[in-house]
Amino acid sequence: MTVRLTEGAIEALFKGTPISNTVLQLLNSKKIGNDLPRIRLIMSDGVHSSASFLLATQLNHLFDENQLEPYCVCLLKKVVVNSLKDGRLVISIVDIEVLKSAEEVGEKIGNPVLYNSNSTDLTSSQEGAASGTPPSASEVEESNSFSPKSNKTPSPQKFIPSTPPSTSKARPGPYTPSPSKGRGRGYTGKSPMKSANTLPDSPAKVIPISALNPYQTKWTIKARVTNKSKERTWSNSKGEGKLFSFEIVDQSGEIKVTAFNKEVEKFYSLLEQGKVYYISKATLKAANKQFNTLSHEYEMTLHANSSIVPCNDGDGVPDVHCNFVPISELEQREKDTILDVIGVVKSAEDVSRITTKSSREVSKRALSLVDTSGKVVTATLWGEEAEKFDGSGHPVVAIKGARLSDFGGRSLSALFSSTILVNPDLPEAFRLRAWFDREGHAADSQSLTEARLVGSGAKMNWKTLSDVKTEHMGHEEKADYFSCVATVVYIRKENCLYRACPSSNCNKKVLDQHNGLYRCEKCDRDYPNFQYRLLLSANLSDYGDNQWVTCFQETAEALLGHSAQRLGRLRDTDEEAFNQVFQRATFTTHIFKNRVKLETYNDETRVKVTVLEILPVDHKEYSRRLIRNIHKMSAST
Amino acid sequence: MANIIDVPKPRINCSMLSQHINRPVCFVGRVEKVHPTGKTFTVSDGEGKIATVELNEPLDEELSGVVEIIGMVSNKGVIMASVYNMLREDKGNLFDIELYNEALKVVHDFPQHYPFEGAVSG
Repeated sequence: MTVRLTEGAIEALFKGTPISNTVLQLLNSKKIGNDLPRIRLIMSDGVHSSASFLLATQLNHLFDENQLEPYCVCLLKKVVVNSLKDGRLVISIVDIEVLKSAEEVGEKIGNPVLYNSNSTDLTSSQEGAASGTPPSASEVEESNSFSPKSNKTPSPQKFIPSTPPSTSKARPGPYTPSPSKGRGRGYTGKSPMKSANTLPDSPAKVIPISALNPYQTKWTIKARVTNKSKERTWSNSKGEGKLFSFEIVDQSGEIKVTAFNKEVEKFYSLLEQGKVYYISKATLKAANKQFNTLSHEYEMTLHANSSIVPCNDGDGVPDVHCNFVPISELEQREKDTILDVIGVVKSAEDVSRITTKSSREVSKRALSLVDTSGKVVTATLWGEEAEKFDGSGHPVVAIKGARLSDFGGRSLSALFSSTILVNPDLPEAFRLRAWFDREGHAADSQSLTEARLVGSGAKMNWKTLSDVKTEHMGHEEKADYFSCVATVVYIRKENCLYRACPSSNCNKKVLDQHNGLYRCEKCDRDYPNFQYRLLLSANLSDYGDNQWVTCFQETAEALLGHSAQRLGRLRDTDEEAFNQVFQRATFTTHIFKNRVKLETYNDETRVKVTVLEILPVDHKEYSRRLIRNIHKMSAST
Repeated sequence: MANIIDVPKPRINCSMLSQHINRPVCFVGRVEKVHPTGKTFTVSDGEGKIATVELNEPLDEELSGVVEIIGMVSNKGVIMASVYNMLREDKGNLFDIELYNEALKVVHDFPQHYPFEGAVSG
């Protein structure tokens, strides 16, 4: 079955008539340029042919993989029409799909003639520069292969009206020698429009972000800020300073930009997330993958001569580059990956303030996000984002650049560099909103983040009691930590309580002076009273082994369900009730978080286990974990 | 006389009904539709499949949510219930029937590790 070409498409593209999804036949292709090669294509719509087509660099691989053979028929899903200063047109193909391979088609369809449009009048969008300069050497090669001057069409990208690049010298000009080998000869790999810039006052040409590299000095990009970080100061042995970074996107890709010190002051307030700017003159260097999660090879640093001008015309610049992962797929992904997620806020906790290990106070808020898969995941917001978040009305939230953690199974954390979008203007958001309003809000959903009671940020290291001995836990320099599900089989009643110093923070045992006073050696003081504290010795057991553990005040009180003080009183007054407390706690099953260490006491070295936290068993989480382990075990046999 | 209560009853879902014809089973499922007579109702299992349950006497209460049914499987794959038990869902802890189904599959896939049949002494 023959595929129909979109006849008249070439003429429409050149005339500027809006047309999309054209089906054209590839007649020939050619690779040009050295540093950053470009693929020129001769396309035909059956009526006309044209050599004004260039493949966007991110699609170069299609040519390298021989997917674009002469005579194949393609669907041009997205093109960008740009006009050169001299009026010639270049059609950049940003997205293409091969409908029929060259073998299937086998021959030229129709009898296309080279499209030859007539006038080359410069429209008003081309201000200033007369294209009277003779085409520089770099253009000679192009003019041979390009079709004769084509009709001026209003290009989707406007030129900078007021800040012409200051280094617009004629090429090949007095440039400082640079590593670039491509300059001055043939095609340097920039988009064709760029190479024609020679006069002062000429408006700069915009190049795609994907074409940015350190070997170009003159370029301008037009892009939208997708992600802007806060100002950060640093102080280390080399000095101190401040910085902020942001990510920008255009149709061809994204790149990270950083500004330091003076540039922070200059640009921080100017740049707004979501707005489009023309940026030129910045340093390009290899991307530091440790901090930069984008796929661009390079990253940009602003300097004193950098220019950032707001652009009012955001046409053609995509909003945000998001690659959303369905929540149900999160389980399959590796932890610590950075990814994008979108979902409806099923519920949101209140913001809470917590103190981090580095004694910093920070706000946090956990949200439950659900998507059409029905699965729910917990996403944590931090800092200002957490504080100003409003979860009322079940908004759609998209998080770009969130980190997937295995906390509680699977959960997400917003990073310093993440972007949180509430009810974004994206098709996925509308789809989710419609689904949720119709059915999603009522559906039962299964959470990937189970038992939020369990764990306090540390990874749960699940072990069984037999593992403690077989793995020789606690034998290293550092203590080992593990969690287990176990049953209390015995609690030692004798010597479970001791008299402790009543001053807060001092838990030392006090000596009874028998004169109504109690002496604390640590505080070096006598007190008229004491406080009872618990020091419990208990035996835990699971299917494999048992283990003696020590529970200090907090965990002991949690296990017995009574305060040390109360127990002290009971012991003296109501022995039966006292015994009952222990009876009730025996043969109960809990999750124990423990610390195990080899300790020496009076020439004897033993492995000691201390209980750090006791939590109720979350049966759903436990079941899931067991089933997961069973599946893993059966898969490996 | 051996009461159904004293006999080992494997837990099954809809796909296992056919292998347990004329045997006592324990079926956990979510109530779907109750027949107006109150003598029969349908339940869905963790996989979404539907089974029919028949009672000796009509229901005397509203049946909803997840139920655990003990009974015999008839030739036609209908569960002839002797006893049923509604699982309370008001305590906030919803019964995760898909998780239950996963566990069920594990039990049936590894009978060597779950020797329930011999558990009850005669």
